[in-house]
Amino acid sequence: MIELDGISKTYRRPTGEAVHALADVSLRIERGEFVAMVGASGSGKSTLMNILGLLDAPTAGRYVFDGRDVSGLGVADQARFRNRNVGFVFQAFHLLPRTSALENVELPLLYSDRRSTDGLGRKALEAVGLADRLRHTPSELSGGQQQRVAIARALVNDPELLLADEPTGNLDVDAAAEIVRIFQALQESGRTIVLVTHDLSVAAHARRVVRLEKGRLVADGPCAPLANTQDRFDGAGIREVQR
Amino acid sequence: MTTRLIAHSVGVMARYRLRSATVMLGSLVGVTALTLVVSLGQGMEAKVLKTVGPMLGDSSILIVSGGSRIMGSPRAGASRLTIDELTALAAELGDIEAWDPQQEVSSVVRYRETTAPAPVRVLGQSERGERVWARTVTRGQYFDAAAVSTSARVAVIGDTVARNLFGDSEPLDAEIRIGAVPFRVIGVLEPFGNDLHGMDRDDEIVVPISTLMRRLTNVDTVSAARLVVKDPGREEEIASEIGRILRARHALASDEPDDFRIVTTVEVRDTVALIRRVLRLYVPLAAAVVLLVAGIVAATLMLSSVNERVGEIGLRRAIGARPEDIRLQFATETAVSVLTGGLGGLLLGYVAARFAATRLQLGVAFSWKAVLIGLVGSAIAGLLAGVLPARRAARLQPADALR
Repeated sequence: MIELDGISKTYRRPTGEAVHALADVSLRIERGEFVAMVGASGSGKSTLMNILGLLDAPTAGRYVFDGRDVSGLGVADQARFRNRNVGFVFQAFHLLPRTSALENVELPLLYSDRRSTDGLGRKALEAVGLADRLRHTPSELSGGQQQRVAIARALVNDPELLLADEPTGNLDVDAAAEIVRIFQALQESGRTIVLVTHDLSVAAHARRVVRLEKGRLVADGPCAPLANTQDRFDGAGIREVQR
Repeated sequence: MTTRLIAHSVGVMARYRLRSATVMLGSLVGVTALTLVVSLGQGMEAKVLKTVGPMLGDSSILIVSGGSRIMGSPRAGASRLTIDELTALAAELGDIEAWDPQQEVSSVVRYRETTAPAPVRVLGQSERGERVWARTVTRGQYFDAAAVSTSARVAVIGDTVARNLFGDSEPLDAEIRIGAVPFRVIGVLEPFGNDLHGMDRDDEIVVPISTLMRRLTNVDTVSAARLVVKDPGREEEIASEIGRILRARHALASDEPDDFRIVTTVEVRDTVALIRRVLRLYVPLAAAVVLLVAGIVAATLMLSSVNERVGEIGLRRAIGARPEDIRLQFATETAVSVLTGGLGGLLLGYVAARFAATRLQLGVAFSWKAVLIGLVGSAIAGLLAGVLPARRAARLQPADALR
């Protein structure tokens, strides 16, 4: 479903010095895969995810989605692509404050060209177990609940691809486990998921783990061998994976 | 989709009442202040013109007896201006369309048991006064030449006098006493209001000048005369001619100062033109300053509101909003703010202008132009400060906006 071919992203510092956030990354992801992207901060994993979701443009390389080259889309087509094909979940939730869970979830429908959108928001919230929180505003919800609202928002337009950037980064262990469980359920129902994390306990739930280092793809494979490699990840995560 | 988006934008504003209110404040302040400043300025101009206007009706020359000093009042008892002299002067000049002498005295006025609260200014004029001073009667009639030649005891009274003496009852044909002398009321003067000195020009009585000179005072000179000139272009020329003739008649030596003063409407016109120029300069200037300040306020409030919301813009872009959707949202918010603020400012400015106009006795001069300029000004400020930064934020890569 996703083919990345020689993707590079180069920033230029004000001093003129070039920073290679991504260097010649090629990656294929099939429909229905659950891929975790790991790496230290600054390794380029978030940049890669932004490029997958057309939130950011690569400096070089080709991106083919469902057989269609999307690297050269105009702004409006990019927006339509995001609206239809991608659901985003962010570390900071990015819910609109003072706005009910239902309205937050229905926000993508505002920008879609669907004819009928009735009941979609409610259905999405039911899917993440928040049917009884429709009218609550973000400040009236716990962190875990807020992230579930965000997941419902990502799902409301029924996209093929779900992109999550450190979705458990701001959550306690129990809430994080609940979010991971939801992602697993989504994957089982056939959704393609790419999840960026530096928490190996979260990455362990993915079938495939991709590791980035200094903007390069350094490892790609099933979860276990990667988890065994000793690196900078925090102790808690490693313990959990090794158990 | 557009309608849904506009409705959504208004809903967002309703949710952030304080933020929306502060943004509205810019156009509210702008329109209020502009309305007030321009309305007052125009009211002031209208007032000046209304007060000075009657003097400008004709090209005329005013001769005031008593000479001119640089400062202080004319020398008492120095008047040497007589009716005979003026008649001769008018005949000699030729180019005079009409002229009217004037003498005045202040006197207690009574009607039956009622006495006017203060001494009333009693003016003596000829039958030509109506034409020369451009002030006629609204009821009854002005006195005629026969009344002047026979020193008839008839009076034309001002509005204030009528109210003070008669209240609601009929003044025409009633007999009033000016001092001890009985007069018959034959007319009521058209209302004038206060003049530039704040004097109530309706607290006046006009009687034939012969009657006044003979029965109310005992003088043989007049205090002033007004001459209407046929050809406005020759006004200045005639004025100096008058000066020359009067000096000769009064046998003044060349080193003696005038014992009269000549005021032409050219001078009055110049003064009015100056006042107009000042007002015309002041009003737009004050308005521009107000608009600038209000614009800066609106812009600052709008700008901080947008900067606060770059993250929101990033999120909206991530879930599928096109840059034009973002622009539409912020344009809607700006339009709603400016319109609501402007409407509030209109109301507030109107009330304030009315209040100030009453207080300053200006009459209400409400300016729609000011409201329009205020609205357009704050709309421009709102667009510059609201829509432009939102545009820029909408053009950012969503990833950068979300950071």
